Amino acid sequence: MANNKMLIGFFVASESIFFVMLILAYVNFHGTVTDGPTAANSLDPLRTGIFSLFLLASSFSMWLAGRSLVSKNHFMMKIWILVTIILGVLFIYGQASEWMGLIGQNITISRNVFGTTFFTLTGFHGFHVCVGLLMLTILLGLAMFGDFKGPKSDGVECISIYWHFVDGVWIVVYSVIYLWAFF
Amino acid sequence: MEKLGGIFNPSSPEMVVMAGLTYYIIAISIGILAIIVVAVTYIVIRYRKGSKDSSEPYQNFGDLRLEIVWTIIPIAIVAVLFQLTCSTMRAVDPPIGDHEPDVVVTGHQWWWEFYYPKSGVLTANELHMPVGERLLLRIESIDVIHDFWVPELGRKIDAIPGHTNYIWIGAGEPGIFLGACAEFCGTQHANMRIRVIAETQEEFNEWQEQELVIPSTPRSGIAAKGAELFQTKACMNCHTIVGTPAAARIGPNLTHLNNRQTIGAGVLTNSPENLTKWLVNPQKYKQGALMPNMKLTDSEVNAIVAYLEALK
Amino acid sequence: MSTRIPLVPENIKPLPSLKGNEGMLSWVSSVDHKQIGLMYLMSTLVFFIIGGLEALVIRIQLAQPEFDFISPEVYNQMFTMHGTTMIFFVVMPFLIGVGVYLVPLMIGARDMAFPRLNALSFWLVIFGGILLYYSFLTQSGPSEVGWFAYAPLSEKPFSLNKGPTYWALGLLAVGISSVSSGLNNIVTILTMRVKGMTMRRLPLFVWMILVTSFILIFVIPIIASAFAMMLLDRLLDATFFTPAHGGSAILWQHFFWGFGHPEVYILILPAFGIISEVIPVFSRKPIFGYSFVAGSTVAIGLLSVGVWAHHMFAVGLGNVANAYFSLASMLIAIPTGVKVLNWVATMWGGKIYFATPMLFATAFIIEFVMGGLTGVAIASAPINWVTTDTYFIVAHFHYVLFGGSLFAIFAGVYYWFPKFTGRMMSETLGKWHFWLTVVGFNMTFFIQHFLGVMGMPRRTYTYHDLPYWGSMNLLSTIGAFVLAISVIIFAWNIIWSLKHGKKAPDNPWNAWTLEWYTTSPPAVHNFNLVPPVRGRRPLWDLAHPDQLDEPNSKVV
Repeated sequence: MANNKMLIGFFVASESIFFVMLILAYVNFHGTVTDGPTAANSLDPLRTGIFSLFLLASSFSMWLAGRSLVSKNHFMMKIWILVTIILGVLFIYGQASEWMGLIGQNITISRNVFGTTFFTLTGFHGFHVCVGLLMLTILLGLAMFGDFKGPKSDGVECISIYWHFVDGVWIVVYSVIYLWAFF
Repeated sequence: MEKLGGIFNPSSPEMVVMAGLTYYIIAISIGILAIIVVAVTYIVIRYRKGSKDSSEPYQNFGDLRLEIVWTIIPIAIVAVLFQLTCSTMRAVDPPIGDHEPDVVVTGHQWWWEFYYPKSGVLTANELHMPVGERLLLRIESIDVIHDFWVPELGRKIDAIPGHTNYIWIGAGEPGIFLGACAEFCGTQHANMRIRVIAETQEEFNEWQEQELVIPSTPRSGIAAKGAELFQTKACMNCHTIVGTPAAARIGPNLTHLNNRQTIGAGVLTNSPENLTKWLVNPQKYKQGALMPNMKLTDSEVNAIVAYLEALK
Repeated sequence: MSTRIPLVPENIKPLPSLKGNEGMLSWVSSVDHKQIGLMYLMSTLVFFIIGGLEALVIRIQLAQPEFDFISPEVYNQMFTMHGTTMIFFVVMPFLIGVGVYLVPLMIGARDMAFPRLNALSFWLVIFGGILLYYSFLTQSGPSEVGWFAYAPLSEKPFSLNKGPTYWALGLLAVGISSVSSGLNNIVTILTMRVKGMTMRRLPLFVWMILVTSFILIFVIPIIASAFAMMLLDRLLDATFFTPAHGGSAILWQHFFWGFGHPEVYILILPAFGIISEVIPVFSRKPIFGYSFVAGSTVAIGLLSVGVWAHHMFAVGLGNVANAYFSLASMLIAIPTGVKVLNWVATMWGGKIYFATPMLFATAFIIEFVMGGLTGVAIASAPINWVTTDTYFIVAHFHYVLFGGSLFAIFAGVYYWFPKFTGRMMSETLGKWHFWLTVVGFNMTFFIQHFLGVMGMPRRTYTYHDLPYWGSMNLLSTIGAFVLAISVIIFAWNIIWSLKHGKKAPDNPWNAWTLEWYTTSPPAVHNFNLVPPVRGRRPLWDLAHPDQLDEPNSKVV
């Protein structure tokens, strides 16, 4: 049914407003911090940039999974979903280690408005990635038991739309937090 | 008939302009409402279904010309209102330029501090101003959002922590104008009142000079006991009395409490009896106020009242 | 030639429910849109009575100057809970619920596109309501910072009680519910219309639900993010809205009203939809200017997201911003005025039958125009500086939300009750309810316009004995009690009619939309057959095959 894809399309549109507001909050306080940690003095754009590439690549592998579904190549579809999950987990690992590093320097959500907006924005994004990973894992599990033989599946296509959305949000978030601070 | 307040008694040039605009829009609104009411009443009488009539009326689906007409007319009305809105806004809120504020107004939970930077007067809840002068007020808040509002003299303006606002205010005639905090600010929002005392320039100057006098501390009698209690019973932790070690600005400056008409930001009129009642238990008159019941004995209360009354 | 086509069997499989959709268990397990719709309506009646009692407590406290009925804390809790309850747990779920019941029937569908998501939406409202009201059991009671919860008053250290936390969590649950029902409505309306039901033939109620659903999915995330930030501030010491730590008090207001003003249209557009169904049927004429009524709704929906700061004229945003928001807000009067005039034109030349639904719809026009006109006045920044945060505003939005939304809701209940239950409501009790509501409502709120411009601020638990303030407030309080009596009659009418009401035929009002084609109440599967849809009024076309709406008439 086209219903499911329409639902996820509007859902993603609705979610993007949620992220727009979090980003606006970040932008609103950008440059208001006079002492204490800021994006410019506490973040490492290169390291996070490299981990971001994993997420970007995972969008590509998810697309390939969709292609395999259409061509009814069940085995390759499972492989590409697995690759997507691995890349997503690597990204989350990068995020988690960045957070741990910051918290180790006593840069927390309650430290100042930079900490508040940074942790909220990246935290909600990370949460969305984790939800996506959970759904992909379920997808993979079902595929292992023989589901999704193709050439069409709303489940695969909807989760794919969601995953591309999460990836797209990250491009904006990375640009606003990291690129804006350093370039 | 007693005089109605607020918009029915505009007492400053700004308020006259705003009240005028309000009357104007209300008149237009009543006109439109009347048209609708008349039309609906006519319909109710004229087009009521007869009890035996079961035929269907003429099926009319609409009329493009009518739609255009009743789209354009409101557009014209809105255009006029918008023009009036802009001109009124300019009249009420002219640019500040490089004027220094005449009074700095600071909202506290639940009282107002008024500081006159040009003379150094620091007082609370009662704003004195000379008639006919247009004063520039700087509006700030120390805790939550409040709103400075004297209905007969002018607009509302929020007092927001971390954000400075300015308004122009002036009184066209002498008198006492009552105002209040207009933005909900917590438990005692209702009792965060303002009194504007508009007086002649001479009276204002005289008041200002009195406020600047540093009163001498009573040396003898019950008032001297009160002076001592004031410094030892934690009063000084929150209040200021100029010329003594008490210099805190958490509560209102009490140096010239004598000169003020009310206590507790308008809860009670200022008299020795009421001051006594207030000191016995402020929570009885202003429940939730930040001034606790100090559990003073009757003689302690009397001594402090005598002291505050003696400060001249 | 066959005049009937069989319903396209969208969903032959039984609905995905635990134990079917009938019997006692169905009150928990059902995913049938009609049962969920009724559950919405019943729970809103309960919340309506709770919110009404809170209003009575407020009015008793204000009956006299310096009155001592409740403490300031309790007063502040009452107006916070009254506003929150009426907006989020009465008007919103009622309109969503009546939409959930009627949309599939009106478009000739078997159910919503996502029946289980529909059930989730309902149960989230109940969950949110429990979270909100649970705060009464916490040590210091429910939130006392108002339904707008301005920072930093709603933040530490000014609100150390748990009330605002439960409040935000409860409303977050309602927000998720609203987004999911918005999504569900959009997909249902866009994809599940019966053959022949084009967008230009959609019943206006469905149009209004569609526009409302778009507003829901795009503005609820605004407040959801603000609630998330507020909760982070309160629970993890984040600093979004605490100026003392670098946050911004004004940011909360932008976020809150960015949602809060479109919310007003969420509360009124489906009410417009109800009126747009009731007035034509009882006037025996098609709606005048269908395209303009539908199109003006879209215009209102688009404008609604660009006017939020007219709630913030006292903040001091500067004259340029104030001028823009004044103009944008006034512009909304134009599509709204178009609607009102089209309703009046629909009645003009009709043969009007004044049953209770039509009485409420007629009164709605006048009360709503009243609220709309004061709305235009306060859209002008200088007038707003005079009236904002006074009883003038209280009067204004009660004319819109009570005189508007609630009058329409009453009209809708009397209109569709026969379809929902298979029984008619008592007309006698209905007329008592109507007249007491009109009298009580205007008595309570009209006088508040004057109190406001005379200088009485809102949200104050007490006031000085200034000239006429006491008597005007007393009049308002008496009006509130008249309203309370009218609500008792209304509730009694529902209960009495459920058991003893006259048996309702399938189409008691001789109406034209598809829900009246099926039985009263409809079977679980809604329709055996649906008539062909060749115009906006399928049942009219069926009854007047020689006088079809579209082929012969110029349809605007």
